[in-house]
Amino acid sequence: MSGQLSAELLKHRTTFTNPELFLAMLGLVLLAVLLHGLALPVDRLASASDQVQVFRFGLLLGVLFAGLVGAMSITGEIRHGTIRPTFLFAPRRGRVMASKIVAGGLVGAVFGLVAVGVAVGVGSAALAARGTPITLDGGDYTLLPIGGITAAALWGPLGLGIGALLRNQVATLTAIFLWLFVIENLLIDFVPAAGKFAPGAAAAAITGLDPDRLLAPAVGALLLAGYAAAAATAGTLATLRRDVP
Amino acid sequence: MASSVDERPSPSLARTDGSVGGPVVVASSLSKRFGDLLAVDELTFALRGGTVTGFLGPNGAGKTTTLRLLLGLARPTAGEALVFGRRYRELDDPARRVGAVLESNDFHPGRSGRDHLRMLAVAAGISRARVEEMLELVELERVAGRQVKTYSLGMRQRLGLAAALLGDPELLILDEPANGLDPAGVQWLRRFLRAFAERGRTVLVSSHILAEVAQTVDEIVIIDRGRLRASGTLAQLTERGRTLEEVYLELTGGAGL
Repeated sequence: MSGQLSAELLKHRTTFTNPELFLAMLGLVLLAVLLHGLALPVDRLASASDQVQVFRFGLLLGVLFAGLVGAMSITGEIRHGTIRPTFLFAPRRGRVMASKIVAGGLVGAVFGLVAVGVAVGVGSAALAARGTPITLDGGDYTLLPIGGITAAALWGPLGLGIGALLRNQVATLTAIFLWLFVIENLLIDFVPAAGKFAPGAAAAAITGLDPDRLLAPAVGALLLAGYAAAAATAGTLATLRRDVP
Repeated sequence: MASSVDERPSPSLARTDGSVGGPVVVASSLSKRFGDLLAVDELTFALRGGTVTGFLGPNGAGKTTTLRLLLGLARPTAGEALVFGRRYRELDDPARRVGAVLESNDFHPGRSGRDHLRMLAVAAGISRARVEEMLELVELERVAGRQVKTYSLGMRQRLGLAAALLGDPELLILDEPANGLDPAGVQWLRRFLRAFAERGRTVLVSSHILAEVAQTVDEIVIIDRGRLRASGTLAQLTERGRTLEEVYLELTGGAGL
């Protein structure tokens, strides 16, 4: 198991895909936070919920990229055929999937920490530069990185599970992106009572920044853990049952 | 037509070293159906240890599907495929018993050849020194740090072979390994496979290049449309002065284009 986990972490480190995704995430976080923090009129940055929107991009992008990296740890192997040597060397596929779940969680956590950390740091600096008093307190500043790490660590295995079910890389990445950035937004806008139970909203809830619209942090964390466990289990069972492509 | 070995392996064969006695690979009434297509149809054959067996058949005959069934990548619809007396998935240390190459391009294009071998070695508890040894064996040590996307087809074939050999296996299963190799590479591969078998180990190699097969193998298994057409030694199949090509075309009904 530990050899297999080391192998899975080595796979994450030995292509340029993850560094490229990491840089893309950083760029998008900076762009979104700076556009919001610097371009909006000051009176639209004054309230706590306005400022939440600035920091929210860090969480959302951290979660998105954690999901993509988790998904690609299986769809990339299927796309490039390395799934065959992987399962020839470790034909007990459940162990391989367990290692991928753990590796996806670890790599996801790093993505989440960086995305939220950069969003909070740069966002706070942008607000300070505009002369807007920051309404967040020490508790918010504690819960933000913890929420970012937890949410992204769970979205890694969630993405892996979706990837293992769909298997096609482009379809999987498109589905995750559309879900987080289109479908959940529509849900939140039109069916808020159901929308707050969606996996992206549950991730955002863990940061505790928007208690009026979202679940309590602990409830969000538990619900997201349930989604991640369900997706990872379904993906693992499908991988055990189906022929290797 | 020579009949194949039909005895079932006894438990005592489970740890055969491949040099003596019972079959290393046994397919018994092996079938695989994809929808309406019966890709492998009641296929039964066995491989003796210490031999090189050529696995022949036209395109679409079911060769690759059969190899995938032997290697646990696909599940048989019926029948059984055993290596060393067990299903592949149940082998204790598969990388040290069986090495296989199914496709010539099962690499991430952005990963170096060395890292490809390392990630497999780490999973199986194989040392870094062995990775370097295998890179030298297949003469890729100079380009091992380069991304696989810069490799020629022949280099990819050799990298796949290096991966299969990482665990110093007793059985080697290769699907079309000579594709993309230059004449020197083909000759190297032939000598390598012969030497491998002479140490009591076993090779199953699928190929289209009958002239090459005739120079390399001891035994032949021919299939067509998923069914066994012949199995036996090369000498048995080519007795009465017939060439392997003549026998093959007659059995697979492919005398014309």
